[in-house]
Amino acid sequence: MTDLGALDYVLLGIQAVFAGPEAFSLLGLPIPITVAMVTIGLITGIIVGATPGLGGVIAMAISLPILISIFGFNSDALLPVLGFLIGVMKGSTVGGAVPAILFNTPGTPDAFMTTLDGYPMAKAGKARKALKIAHFSSVSGDTFSDMVLIVCAPFLAILVEAYLDLPEKTALIILSLSFIAAVVGGSPAKGLLSCGLGLLAVYIGTGEDFYPRLSFGTDALSDGIPITAAVIGVLVLGAIFVELEDLWHQKRTSGGIQIIKEVGDQRLHWADIRRILPFIGRSAVIGTAIGALPGIGSTLAATIGYATGKRRHDRRKAPDDPSFGNGAPEGIAATEAANSSVSGANLIPVLSLGIPGNTAAVFLILAAESIGGFNPGPSVFKFTTDLNPELVIVFGLFTAMIFANLLNWTIGGVFMRSLGVLARIPKQLLLPVVFLLTLASLYVQETDMSAVWFAFGFGVLGYFMRRFAISPLPFVIAFVLGSRLEDTARQAFSATGGDPFFLFKSPIAAIFILAAVAVIVLSLRKPEAKSA
Amino acid sequence: MTRLSANAVLGLACILFALVTAFLWIPFDTDTWLVERARGRYTLGDSLAPTLAAGFIFLAGLMLLREGQQTEDRPTYNNLQFIGAMIGMGVVSILLMRWAGPIAVNLFASGEEYRLLRDTAPWKYIGFVLGGGCMVFAMIAFVDERVTLRALIVAVLAVVGIILLYDVPFEDVLLPPNGDV
Amino acid sequence: MKLSFKAAIAAAVVAVSGTVAHAADWTPPGPIKMVIAFAAGGGADTQARLIAEELEARHGWKVIPEQVTGKGGLNAVNALKEAPADGTTIGMIVTETLGYNMASAKAGQPTDVTPITTTAGTQMAVVALSSKGWKTFGDVIEAAKAGEDIRFGVMTGMLGDLAYVAAKENGVDFNIISVRGGKAVMNGLNAGDMDVGFGAGIQAKAVAAGDMVELASARSEPLINSPDAPLLSEYGVEFSNETAFMFAGPPNMDAAARDAIAAAIADVVTSEGKANAFITKGFGGPVVISGAELEASVQSDFDSSAALIQAASE
Repeated sequence: MTDLGALDYVLLGIQAVFAGPEAFSLLGLPIPITVAMVTIGLITGIIVGATPGLGGVIAMAISLPILISIFGFNSDALLPVLGFLIGVMKGSTVGGAVPAILFNTPGTPDAFMTTLDGYPMAKAGKARKALKIAHFSSVSGDTFSDMVLIVCAPFLAILVEAYLDLPEKTALIILSLSFIAAVVGGSPAKGLLSCGLGLLAVYIGTGEDFYPRLSFGTDALSDGIPITAAVIGVLVLGAIFVELEDLWHQKRTSGGIQIIKEVGDQRLHWADIRRILPFIGRSAVIGTAIGALPGIGSTLAATIGYATGKRRHDRRKAPDDPSFGNGAPEGIAATEAANSSVSGANLIPVLSLGIPGNTAAVFLILAAESIGGFNPGPSVFKFTTDLNPELVIVFGLFTAMIFANLLNWTIGGVFMRSLGVLARIPKQLLLPVVFLLTLASLYVQETDMSAVWFAFGFGVLGYFMRRFAISPLPFVIAFVLGSRLEDTARQAFSATGGDPFFLFKSPIAAIFILAAVAVIVLSLRKPEAKSA
Repeated sequence: MTRLSANAVLGLACILFALVTAFLWIPFDTDTWLVERARGRYTLGDSLAPTLAAGFIFLAGLMLLREGQQTEDRPTYNNLQFIGAMIGMGVVSILLMRWAGPIAVNLFASGEEYRLLRDTAPWKYIGFVLGGGCMVFAMIAFVDERVTLRALIVAVLAVVGIILLYDVPFEDVLLPPNGDV
Repeated sequence: MKLSFKAAIAAAVVAVSGTVAHAADWTPPGPIKMVIAFAAGGGADTQARLIAEELEARHGWKVIPEQVTGKGGLNAVNALKEAPADGTTIGMIVTETLGYNMASAKAGQPTDVTPITTTAGTQMAVVALSSKGWKTFGDVIEAAKAGEDIRFGVMTGMLGDLAYVAAKENGVDFNIISVRGGKAVMNGLNAGDMDVGFGAGIQAKAVAAGDMVELASARSEPLINSPDAPLLSEYGVEFSNETAFMFAGPPNMDAAARDAIAAAIADVVTSEGKANAFITKGFGGPVVISGAELEASVQSDFDSSAALIQAASE
């Protein structure tokens, strides 16, 4: 075997996608399985994004078990499955703009800012043009973010591997958790609570001793809580409960969605693009920077992107141009570019550190863990001279992302503009079906009735967390990282010969721990400063 | 102020829960302490990580008390009514899903065991169709606040659709509850 | 702590071919649940799933794999204990589960399950990156004596005890790091988080490529890939690790079911096919021991574990 260099890995990754096993052939042209799955994922993502009440997370939760049933537990399954999930992730971001613009009903929280200018534009008869602007901005932001990911992740990973030893890795996980707890949701106290509950839940039934700790001696708790059940329960089922209740309160008589007639030129001209490009650029940088930090999601990126764009627009716009909030194309561009550029950058901490920053990343990690053979984290980026299959997978993923972007540029826009009809599916019929489908999918993966009970229970917990305005995201990320935190801490403690101060002996670890404390303390002071 | 704010109540509950967890649940329900000795060295025990989690919850409780009356986000009586109904419907449906099949086998196929029939139609569908259908139908009817034919049709279509999605194409996939009876 | 595998293989092959005929009459009364005690995607899990696949293909049985991981296979043993004994539930564990792990956790007896058959042995070795410059385990001891802190990665309790005894016998100290699964040891070595570690066979590719080196055999005989590597016994360690992968069923399993399943699995791992190829590549070839012989060797494993546990607690 010849020695492999970095470039060989890039080529192998591209090959893994385009020269992989054939799914079917189209007009005599063989379509590789990963290409097919990315495409189907993207289309699925656009559809669920365009359906109010659904979203990328639900689609990922339901499709993961089906995908694993189809592709099985071996490393050949990784690229098609992860490619599909990435397609869903990208598609749902684009699709989310459809109901926001057409019917003023944001499908996802980050699409809310899109309604501010999108819906006025649609009311003014420019619906098609608004959708085109949303699509262009969203895909531009996404592409930019992916570029940053592809360039940064390998270097960051190699730095981490070179400079971080076990104590530093432990400290880094603690820092990430405290950061997520402090920044997600309005209140750091509630973030910390969410995080603490997630950790406590994952420690039930696990551990090193033969007796499964915290299990009250029961069989149900002794194998621990299945990670998929906890994640899907809190994220998906909890959200469905909340949505159903809102419908119950509204007792909304559905129908009455107006179709507004389009007026005038709907095309996206070069002049339009020139006008929105500066807004896209700024928002893409903002979104990418925010995405690279674990925990801060696309909603914040959209908000900041919108606010920054508004400031610039107010200064520079011509007097008769609409201002932000009154149907400015720049407003859509600033929002969509910002929230879409989060997704690629969000994979930087996943691939280089193994730390998920948002819910989509949580599902990528779940998929990798369920299938096996790929452990996202710094060890992946080892450019060994004999074949490192995990590194090929990473470059395969990058290829899949670029391919998904190309698809999104070409067919994504056309497809998305045809989906306005989905907003008229009555949510109170759709959501209970999705609820059952989610439970069935979970069961297919876990084959254990206790997983269904757990998911239902965690759904109720997720409901109460939302009613107390506690973000479920720190819970989920703490649940995913909890075992790693404990294992790494145990290993670091043993590796240092049982040094109780192992987290403070090296300067890097000490800095991480101090930063973790500082993040919490600073976030506590913020509201006081505001009110003073 | 005679009434406690929602944050204060939540904070006190967190502190109480954290203390019970750290001083009763963990010590009495875990084999090893914070650290233990093995092979001539100290290693981290099974209690350390959960105690740390309890510490976070305790700290969150203190911070909530300090934050005081910033928000009034808490479940109302109305919320409790809703989620209570959901829990009731869910529990009944999941129980139906688990036991309808075995009960039917007991009644109509004497001498047979459900465990051995769990991959045989029609027995294998009984639990999922009854339990799943009941869940979808009940939830729709509750939100609509009336029992409609439409809800029934959606429920039936949903279970049939899921069976077509999972059970028919995949040889190895078992619908609830057939994987672990 | 020593299974006499060599002699056993010969005997077992004969025994297997003898049982095939009458066992062929048995068919499972329903789908078979296959409990897998290893994390999804690892070498052991792949082995189990390939065997399941081929059992379905060759015998038309329906086999449903289910992961029950944790506690060194004892969780899987618990799952088996409760299951019906008619051959509809089997589980894949390692011999160490019924030996050392059960003894050290004081969690029952090997008779809590019915051993069915082994499938493959392991190539348990002390492994390090070749860039360390060590040739044998002796070099590691020298380095430790010269004051270097040595981190030793292990994936089971028994291996941790072996590492501890190896250090003690040679008057040095290792910082023993327990991780989950052999893959984690490999990652730890690659990342520089550990200096040496145990590999059960997963190291074969890296050793062949020259990236890693096998410093010693933890078995009672030399390694296939590094026949010149010394045995741990040459460093005063009087215990060895002969872990093998095995299938077990619920206690008091129906004899016809047990024989039929043992024969079917033996056939799958020894005759040409995907499972056989995988085992040959990753675990040094099939090892098939079943029946009374397996029962006896598992029991002797269990009984002799006390000595190692004692040695490691001093």
